[in-house]
Amino acid sequence: MKKTPGRMDILLVEDNPGDVELVREALSNGGVKNVLHVASDGVQAMRFLRKEGEYAGRILPDLVLLDLNLPRKSGREVLKDLKSDPALQFIPVIVLTSSKSEEDIIQAYCLHANCYVSKPVDFNQFVNIVHSIEDFWLSIVKLPFRH
Amino acid sequence: MYRAEIVMADREKVVDSADNQERTLNKLQARLAEVEQELDFLTYAISHDLRAPLRTLFGFSTLLVRKYGDNLEGQPLDYLKRILSGAARMETMIEELLKLSRVGRAEMRREQVDLSALAATVLDEMQAADPGRPVEIEVEPGLSCMGDQSMLRTVLHNLLQNAWKFTGGTPSPHIRFFAWINEGQRFYCVRDNGAGFAVGQADRLFRPFQRLHLETEFPGVGMGLALVKKIIQRHDGTVRAEGEEGAGATFCFAVGDT
Repeated sequence: MKKTPGRMDILLVEDNPGDVELVREALSNGGVKNVLHVASDGVQAMRFLRKEGEYAGRILPDLVLLDLNLPRKSGREVLKDLKSDPALQFIPVIVLTSSKSEEDIIQAYCLHANCYVSKPVDFNQFVNIVHSIEDFWLSIVKLPFRH
Repeated sequence: MYRAEIVMADREKVVDSADNQERTLNKLQARLAEVEQELDFLTYAISHDLRAPLRTLFGFSTLLVRKYGDNLEGQPLDYLKRILSGAARMETMIEELLKLSRVGRAEMRREQVDLSALAATVLDEMQAADPGRPVEIEVEPGLSCMGDQSMLRTVLHNLLQNAWKFTGGTPSPHIRFFAWINEGQRFYCVRDNGAGFAVGQADRLFRPFQRLHLETEFPGVGMGLALVKKIIQRHDGTVRAEGEEGAGATFCFAVGDT
């Protein structure tokens, strides 16, 4: 597994193009150099992670930002597959969704999500949250294959 | 013989009607479960799916102001700010709608609730948050009833907050919490000498998003009293409102015995 030093790879699994752009904007003026890969549904996300087809030869992301309600394969199923796959289960997954439902929160943690973040409507709060995620997960914590 | 036949026939009728009743009951129960599930879906859709386009609206208007605000002035900037404030308001309305739905379904605990102490605490908090306002406060001591502590706290909070808000322009504001017996029923009332409301409009007050004053005069989305009504309904009680424009308002609630 080759990681590019000084550059973090993030996989954003999100079907709403508006939200993709907003995450991109929020990440663009953060402190960590990063590359944002986007999968717009659950099937594409798993293909990316398993390096299938057009994703052959790609590197694994350092972090996954996962929406829950996705076309073709839901975020819950992606979470389940990823966390039960020995080749992928070490990748931290941050559930990033509009839902504040108690059921979604409990279910996500039961499926071994590393944390659950609810997307706020207010863009300024959204930017703060993305920066906090970046700060904590990409600069404070020790990630595997990054020593 | 003839008599016995009649008795038998009557018995069959009774059995038959009991069967019918059970069938109707089963049908109603199934329908209720269906409606409850629909309500769950709807609540989920409101809290999750409706928020997404709102975030788009909010996010990109904010970005426009942030990135290109320097090139905008006058009307274009004003329009953008209106879009932003509309989106913010819709977010608040969704939050409030969800509160109403949660209160309608939350589990209730019945215990002895000290209403006088609750009212005093809520008023202390308001006074602390708004120390510049000299409001004369009167809380009748020793009032309590059976009910859900946190729900009744919301009731008192919303009623007292309204009283606080609508006495904002009154020269010597006065808020009172007291008990009142009407036709053998004990009501708990919040009275103020504030803006009041137009006579004949009391019913509208308790509906969601109904406002009887201009947003610019008294801010709010109009969910406070709808929440009060829903909570009191869940306590098998009743609410009532009396008021006069410019002469204050009184809001009362009673809770059921069970």
